[in-house]
Amino acid sequence: MITSIAWKNVWRNRTRSLTVIAAVTVGVFAGVFAMAAINSSIVQRIDAAVNEELSHIQVNNPGFRGSSDIANVIAGPQKVVKVLDETPGVTHIAERIIVRGIASTSAGSAGVEITGIDVEKEQQMFTLNERLIPGTGSYFGTDTRLNSAFIGEKLAKELYIIRYILSEESFTTLEAEGVPAAVAAKLRPLENQRFTTEKKLTEAFSGLLTAKEAKLYGMKIKEAAWSYREGSKIILTFLDADGMQTGAAFRICGIFRTNNDFFEAMSLFVPRDELRRLTGMEEGQYHRIIARLEDNDQTDKASAAVKESLPGLEVMNWKQIQTDLAMIADYVNRIYGIFMVLILAALAFGIVNTMLMAVLERTRELGMLSAIGMNRRRVFSMIMLESIFLSIVGGFAGMAVSAIVIAITNHTGINLVKYAEGLEAFGYSAQLYPTIGADFFIMLTVMIVITGIISAIYPARKALQLNPVEALRGE
Amino acid sequence: MKVVEINDVFKTYHDTEVEVKAVNGVTLSFEKGDFAVIVGPSGSGKTTLLNLIGGLDQPTAGEIIVAGHRLSELKPSELIDFRMEHVGFVFQSYNLIPVLTASENVGFIMSLQKWPKEKRMARTDEMLQSVGLSDRHKSRPAQLSGGQQQRVAVARALAPRPQFILADEPTANLDTKSAETLLDIMEKLNREEEMTFIFSTHDVRVMKRARRVITLEDGRVVSDERTNHHS
Repeated sequence: MITSIAWKNVWRNRTRSLTVIAAVTVGVFAGVFAMAAINSSIVQRIDAAVNEELSHIQVNNPGFRGSSDIANVIAGPQKVVKVLDETPGVTHIAERIIVRGIASTSAGSAGVEITGIDVEKEQQMFTLNERLIPGTGSYFGTDTRLNSAFIGEKLAKELYIIRYILSEESFTTLEAEGVPAAVAAKLRPLENQRFTTEKKLTEAFSGLLTAKEAKLYGMKIKEAAWSYREGSKIILTFLDADGMQTGAAFRICGIFRTNNDFFEAMSLFVPRDELRRLTGMEEGQYHRIIARLEDNDQTDKASAAVKESLPGLEVMNWKQIQTDLAMIADYVNRIYGIFMVLILAALAFGIVNTMLMAVLERTRELGMLSAIGMNRRRVFSMIMLESIFLSIVGGFAGMAVSAIVIAITNHTGINLVKYAEGLEAFGYSAQLYPTIGADFFIMLTVMIVITGIISAIYPARKALQLNPVEALRGE
Repeated sequence: MKVVEINDVFKTYHDTEVEVKAVNGVTLSFEKGDFAVIVGPSGSGKTTLLNLIGGLDQPTAGEIIVAGHRLSELKPSELIDFRMEHVGFVFQSYNLIPVLTASENVGFIMSLQKWPKEKRMARTDEMLQSVGLSDRHKSRPAQLSGGQQQRVAVARALAPRPQFILADEPTANLDTKSAETLLDIMEKLNREEEMTFIFSTHDVRVMKRARRVITLEDGRVVSDERTNHHS
């Protein structure tokens, strides 16, 4: 009965209750959606780190990461593979040879980390091959030959393999992308000119377009002018197993584009057997063995188990390698809580105000209830329940709206291309796909109920302080 | 059988510097089945006396015993339970719970007393029938006239079978027809259920029906008369 009365009391003053419910709805939605957007950025970064760059667990010779000395190979790689294979949760294992060297073309050069991979195994455990820019090759595909290299777009730019040319085809693309004919016409003087860097192209078209046009269509112009000659060659030089400088020409079998500029600029993948041949390393020698897990949540437990089984080797999980990322993920989790507490605390004042008005308006009725035998516990419970109902209705509405908007934006994505340069410099995607776990909604429900309870304490105490005789006398 | 015993009760209020003796040495008792009114001019202490009998207020001195309970010995929380168990209240301004239907209002105290649902429903139906509002059981107070609301209030007060009913000016807001109907109903319930009614009133319509009229002046009982009226 008390629950039923409390629920009905919520709707006595519909306008007032709906106003508070709307405030709670908007507050919860704002909080949840902002967090889902931030969370997506972290989740995407972790996914990229695990699926494209690091995998979950890495085993190295203890001296390798510090020195990158080619001689620092893993002792007993078979045992490492066996331990990893027997570790619960491990789904894929791959062995790598890694050397530091210089990549160069006639136009530029850059320091790189050359990773020799088992193409087939790595294709199964990573998604980097899916990051291949169309038209730049076929990963280590059908025309795989020795001396193939898969490189990042940033590195390709540094080596001037990528150029910018506004060809006739580019103008067709611009038209298809919705760039007005008048804007395209202004770009005609640049037709077929070759720009070696994005910056030079930007300077050139910015001189022809208005600032607004350059801002609006700049990205589309750069994409349309992006040009790469398939099968471009680079020279890789590095030290071999004897410490002698060696090198070879590699044909680019694909360029990948990720959200991590640093990874794109530094990483270069070649077939492992080819790198072994060029470095003169012995069969069965590896610098790094990596393992992938079924679920990211198994990371800490699995890596600890592997570490215990492989004393003398360096066993690290992605969190230990990318400490900044692990720290941010942890930090964001804490921020979630603080952020939500602040929002709910602000909303609590609105609920307190509404409940106080409700109590003061019902002085006579509360006096009557006390007179006819409704005890203090029941009066307190009734006010408490009214407050909780107000919070929960608003909270659930906010969560429902959030869930819908998150589902939609998770499908369509939120484009932050304006901030792409800055975000990608730190490895974060400019395209967000908001996501948030069910556990967050559970935690939020508990927090909303607590907000309702806390908000009710003061009005409920006021109700309890009423003297039935004075209350019945008419306020 | 005595339902209420009031022994030399005083109630004094301190209004700034003036001491007001609202009840000034009242000794009274009420028998089961009484249909009594307390009358007197405004400020004579009628409502205060009713509040003291109902355990809504505590006397400054003296003793009130209801159904074996010395009210002065009860803690505030025990007084609330006492009121729920033993006293039925009918107020001047009806004081129904606006969000509940007539039926739910009548069943409210019984639900506080944790009556089994079936028994509670049956008693609710019985009481609504007694006050002639069976057809309005789903109506909310706002959908009922003043007289109908007061009939629901009487049904609510009587439903859990309290020791007695305290009715403070129950007809003050009602027109003649509604007041007569209400008094007919209360007389009938007094007769059929042997329910004790104690009224405070100015209303001659109520006084005419009473079998006992107690007159208060300045907080004192100046007369306590049995009348010839028989319902």
